[in-house]
Amino acid sequence: MNSNRSSSAHLIHRRSLLGLGALSALSLSAGMPRVWAQAVPSGRQGLDSGRLVVVFLRGAYDGLSAFVPYADGDYYALRPNIAIAAPDGTAQTALKLDKTFALHPALSPLLPLWQRGVLGFVPAAGLPTPNRSHFDAQYQMEVAQSGKTSSAPGWLNNTAALAKADAGSAAALGVGEANPAILGGHAAVRLIPRGQSAERTGVLANDKTRQALLDLYAGDDKISEAFRQGAGSRMQSAQELTMQRTQRAAMAADKSLDRDGTPANPQAQTAQMVAASNGAADPVGLQLDAQHLGTLMRNDRKLRLGFLSAGGWDTHANQGAVNGQLANNLGNLANGIAQLRQDFFEPGDVIVVMSEFGRTSAENGTRGTDHGFGNAMWLIGSRVAGGRWHGQWTGLARGNLNEGRDLPAHHDYRAVLAQVLRGAFALGDTQLADVLPGAKWDKRLDGLFLKA
Amino acid sequence: MPLATVVTRASVLAALLVCQAGPAAYAQQADAAPPSVNAAAAWRAASRLGYAPTPASAQAAEAAPRAWALQQIDAAYAASRRPAAIPAELAGINAPLGDIARGFYAERETRKSQRQETPKTKPGAAMADANAGPEKFSRDMAQSAAAWRLMSCSDPALENPLLARMTEFWFNHLNVFVGKGPVRPFVGHYVVNVIRPNALGRFEDLLLASARHPAMLLYLDQAQSNNRGINENYARELMELHTLGVNSGYTQKDVRELARILTGWTVNLKDGEGFRFAERLHDKDGKVLLGRTFGSEGVSEGEEAIRYLARRPETARRVSTRLASFFVADKPSSALVDRLAATFTATQGDIRAVMRALVESPEFWAKDNQLFKTPLDFACSALTAGGGVKERRDIVQTLGFLAQAGQPMHGWQTPDGYKTDAGTWLAPEALTRRADYALALAQRTPEPSYLNAFFSTATRERIAREPAQSRAGLMLASPDFMRK
Repeated sequence: MNSNRSSSAHLIHRRSLLGLGALSALSLSAGMPRVWAQAVPSGRQGLDSGRLVVVFLRGAYDGLSAFVPYADGDYYALRPNIAIAAPDGTAQTALKLDKTFALHPALSPLLPLWQRGVLGFVPAAGLPTPNRSHFDAQYQMEVAQSGKTSSAPGWLNNTAALAKADAGSAAALGVGEANPAILGGHAAVRLIPRGQSAERTGVLANDKTRQALLDLYAGDDKISEAFRQGAGSRMQSAQELTMQRTQRAAMAADKSLDRDGTPANPQAQTAQMVAASNGAADPVGLQLDAQHLGTLMRNDRKLRLGFLSAGGWDTHANQGAVNGQLANNLGNLANGIAQLRQDFFEPGDVIVVMSEFGRTSAENGTRGTDHGFGNAMWLIGSRVAGGRWHGQWTGLARGNLNEGRDLPAHHDYRAVLAQVLRGAFALGDTQLADVLPGAKWDKRLDGLFLKA
Repeated sequence: MPLATVVTRASVLAALLVCQAGPAAYAQQADAAPPSVNAAAAWRAASRLGYAPTPASAQAAEAAPRAWALQQIDAAYAASRRPAAIPAELAGINAPLGDIARGFYAERETRKSQRQETPKTKPGAAMADANAGPEKFSRDMAQSAAAWRLMSCSDPALENPLLARMTEFWFNHLNVFVGKGPVRPFVGHYVVNVIRPNALGRFEDLLLASARHPAMLLYLDQAQSNNRGINENYARELMELHTLGVNSGYTQKDVRELARILTGWTVNLKDGEGFRFAERLHDKDGKVLLGRTFGSEGVSEGEEAIRYLARRPETARRVSTRLASFFVADKPSSALVDRLAATFTATQGDIRAVMRALVESPEFWAKDNQLFKTPLDFACSALTAGGGVKERRDIVQTLGFLAQAGQPMHGWQTPDGYKTDAGTWLAPEALTRRADYALALAQRTPEPSYLNAFFSTATRERIAREPAQSRAGLMLASPDFMRK
């Protein structure tokens, strides 16, 4: 009865895998380096061959609201107040993806990506064992080591360390957080703040002040080294982002001139430019941060890895359904992802959206959801086998849930990341083992990326 | 204008790269003479058991650092027994809970009717309305709470500096988020009535006070959890963050049992009680938490459970680890944590006794146990050096700096609170942004020349070469001022 369902494209593959059950069990249980089943794609290898942006949703987003298992009667039984209505073509229902899943309507900006085959997802991935602490689970996912509580380098920093050593230049860029664990480690990274302050040079713009500060921070201690490095990268970031803003405003003003005629005087022109740049097209929040990330990584081609995060997903109470707090958050996320895709469209570019765990399949007593286990990981990129989902999905029947309450994590999140790192950078076995120590290749996810 | 800016920036960048190329030129300054032993100890004590020395405390602490530090504990405890000296313009945060609740409800009603009445075609009208009337009640309350924290962390005449420090520590340990709608107007009341009076008292009294306050009940959804449908949020964080710590042996079953024990713990805002135990919403069946049976004893069940958790050895260890990381070193030795935990257990969680053990430890004074200031440390110490908050601009600029630096006041969304280690806060570009704030603030600050006693010769000499009006800002932006 509760046999595994899977997306139609994968049925044949799955059957052949079942037929080779003994072999796949063998390959899953054996030690790491030798069992990376899929051959490393030929051609360019290493960070130069692609770019990766990780968007981390802190607080455990409700994947069952993002990718709605609308054909599953249990979904509606478990969530009498917060389920997203099955697709019927109207605005207040989910948007049909296939015969199993539909998209939350707030994510509609992403529907074209699905239709063009560049957005796919793994519906039930997660940590190897349940861990319902946000902070513990986030940390483990950022250092890609289970049970790790003492300090370890982040896996994006491990990935950055694979870049050809080039004195002082960073391969990874983080937007928003002071020093996220995922970027922690020995490889140099660049970190810029959220929002418009990333565009400001501040007191460094003044030659005398800047010189005095650099003199004060001339020592060889950690703080002084950090200051000197920060002064250089900040000047560069702010300059590039300001130039980008100026260009956008000028372009917008050009458009309005075509339509409205020449402004009467310089003041009117300035006003027009301001009006144009303050219009609906001017992004805020995650979308602005995504734009900053895109601009800086476009200008500095040595930057191959990007990191963004968004909070506010811990919807224990009144999470809402088609509208409400979760829908608002999903809408902002969709705008951010759509913005990212405008800059990350090259063949080797991949965007990953992930969260520390999923939420309970059933709603709780306060029209929200509590901490769960498995959750959907999203993948966006031209090489992603998108327009479909991947891996195992066993529905929401009680007997198929983890501890009778949560989605299971059918796939270790590191197995998904391994596919991503190979798909984007064609990393070899040893490199994958360096970045994701202890991870095992999961053949059931082969096919997540198109063959290069 | 934009074009000119771009050109300037480009040339500035080129100049910067050139001057970065020659670190050897400054090598002689790195061997700068350190301040005297007592000055270093005084800097450490005043910066950690407060935020920065003042001219008066600098002198007293330098004369006898250890004795001074121990005195601070008693002085802070005495201050915690007295009402907070909240300036009249901020007194709203300490109004009776019923008054705060009324303001909150009035705000909701006004907003609701505005939404119905305001024609959507006139966005300007809505903007104008938003600047007057009861609908900005929560915002004002949140701003007043933040203003009080800044004033109290930077002016010893207003608040004992160690009490301000302990208030920061325990607020962070029992964090609530000002951005969550109904929590917003109650944050200041929580600071003044839950955290401050218990900051050097017994840990279990502090914990219980937080459990019963609307800010916490609303923040972690306990107010909505009941026998018809439980919400695990508060129960989980109470064990994971407030007491035992993650991986300390409790299970998902324990989380459910604790949530059941706490069913019926809710808020009553309309009558001004704040906390209410609703008997009919309480799960009256038996529960087993961490192997201990809890019968149906109504509200005392939850009180017992909270005190039980507060007294567990795992809690002593977790709280001691956090205190040692906050006051001594990012990675404190286990020997120190053991000693603090033993004191915690032996004194039934007397925070004052634990703090005494901490200040008496050799680790607190050890030169190798460096701490880097968090953005909040930096802001409060800069304000202190300038003689405290003097005008509204100080508050506005400081709150803006904190938000941009990633440590907005009362603004950490999740219950784990801010991290306080250098690994989190020592980030290159962020460090340069501290200079922006320091120089802006220092435009209104006389030169805090008493700080020179704590600075290296290199820093003093370099700053002395600058014109007088630049010196205060550079002092606050100097590397010496980044350490505590």
